[in-house]
Amino acid sequence: MTSLVTARGVSKHFGQVRAVDNVSFEIEKGRILGLIGPNGAGKTTLLKALLGLTDCDGDLSVLGLDPFRQRKKLMQNICFIADVAVLPRWIKVSQLLDYVEGVHPNFSRKRAEGFLAHTKVQSGAKVRELSKGMVTQLHLSIIMAIDAKLLVLDEPTLGLDILFRKEFYANLLNDYFDEERTILVTTHQVEEIENLLTDIMFINDGKILLDSSMDTLTETYIELMASGENAVKAKGLGPIAESEIFGKSVMLFEGVSREHLQELGELRIPSVADLFVAKIKEARK
Amino acid sequence: MIAHQLTLVRRELWEHRSIWVTPVAIGVVVSLLVMAMLVFASGFAKELDVAIFGAQNLAGEEQRSIALIMHFLGTSWIFLIALAILTVFYCLDSLYAERKDKSILFWRSLPVTDAETVLSKLLTAVFVIPLITCAGIFVTHLVNLVVTSIWVSTKGGSAGTLIWSSLPIIDIWLFTFIVVISSAIWMSPFVGWFLLVSAWTKRMPLLVAFMPIIVIPLLEWIVFRTRFFASAVGERGDNLPIFHIGDIEMLFEGDEWLRNIPDVQLLDLIDIGKFMAHPETWIGIIVCGLLTTAAIYVRRFRDES
Repeated sequence: MTSLVTARGVSKHFGQVRAVDNVSFEIEKGRILGLIGPNGAGKTTLLKALLGLTDCDGDLSVLGLDPFRQRKKLMQNICFIADVAVLPRWIKVSQLLDYVEGVHPNFSRKRAEGFLAHTKVQSGAKVRELSKGMVTQLHLSIIMAIDAKLLVLDEPTLGLDILFRKEFYANLLNDYFDEERTILVTTHQVEEIENLLTDIMFINDGKILLDSSMDTLTETYIELMASGENAVKAKGLGPIAESEIFGKSVMLFEGVSREHLQELGELRIPSVADLFVAKIKEARK
Repeated sequence: MIAHQLTLVRRELWEHRSIWVTPVAIGVVVSLLVMAMLVFASGFAKELDVAIFGAQNLAGEEQRSIALIMHFLGTSWIFLIALAILTVFYCLDSLYAERKDKSILFWRSLPVTDAETVLSKLLTAVFVIPLITCAGIFVTHLVNLVVTSIWVSTKGGSAGTLIWSSLPIIDIWLFTFIVVISSAIWMSPFVGWFLLVSAWTKRMPLLVAFMPIIVIPLLEWIVFRTRFFASAVGERGDNLPIFHIGDIEMLFEGDEWLRNIPDVQLLDLIDIGKFMAHPETWIGIIVCGLLTTAAIYVRRFRDES
């Protein structure tokens, strides 16, 4: 079995609000999955359920474990960075390493120190003395030094400048990721990570709008730029979204054959962001 | 498992530096005061023992011994008051601060259960803080003994006869240790309550923790005209059932009592068996257990988003 995460009819209610509404999906080993959704879509709730931080209805299995009931065992093989800077501000870097070393059987202090050696983070410094970018570097160094099967990143680069963001993902790919590991990442800055994703999932109002590998995505969704008569013809094929740029119509098609569209104008691979907007609009209709 | 808990408790000492800074600070202040007293008192009188222990005239070995014991127990007392205040603030902060600064998300990203975390805070409050306080007391006693001995020697007296042989220091330490640890166990229901408040309240843990202790007795009196709650809480604050005499305050009240006991044996005043056999000791431990379990439950099931 290569399925790392299996969700069958998973729901989470807060009173009347269905934060996660009967979702089913699988995540396979060795993938980098992007979970994309607007604010309040249920991303964080879904992640919390996966991490055993909140209870949910339905069948949810992560690494073959029930995340809520077997959280300790799960956390030996999962790492996560939440969307807010969560490292305690009072702790010293060396104490943080001592602590993680003391409680985590799969943590390699040597590795963490190796990563930190490439940064400006000093082992005697307290977290409160570090810049936001350095705190993220510290957190990432610790996370990457843990031999985990699944890494969950919830808006890991929020509030960081572009240099840190680029470096963050570069480190992750070069020093951490391999076919034995799986990464689940949510972010608002989709364009920054779309090149590194192998799979993508859109979520809105607690429901999954799209769950696909990036390879299939580029086959299924095609963007056409057309004008004049061709644009009218193309419209007849039922685009899921359209807009106007420089007097030309830009249309997004789902499941329409490439040969068919090729005659009508210029074809492009749609950006994840455009696809996401189209899907959300479609769902709201 | 034990190494695991040790790491968690160490973490508590890193975060709450006041746990060891406070005893050190008190130790320094008390030692300085004793030195000042020695210098000050010797200006008035030439007799050595008067210089050591203030203006009280001490006749005979027995009274010097009692005065020495009182002096050292009095020193301990200052530490114990600090210990109580420290424990209240520690407990109220222990599960509240991590939620306020959201670091709870980091702590919970590691393979540590909520039960282990809350247990480490309970252990810190009931054993680690009292043990560190005891250590602070013993070191301060030693410093005072050495300083006083040096002072006496420079005045031409014999520290050995005047101080060391009159002072059953090991008895004092054992006595202090037993009283501190049994008090901590006796007071543990409050620790459980403070941990629960700390895990549960959205704001102002201090107010939330003390409000019921004031409001519930009032309501009980208005509605039922009874005082069960007030007396249950009050008695716990008052009577530690380890002493042979009814009340520890008697130790400090009075020459009368001291004179009636010609040969003071400090350890004869306490009875661990009595403490362990006392039903209220066990009721307290059970209440502490229940409240701590509730705190674990709240930390585990509460959704922070």
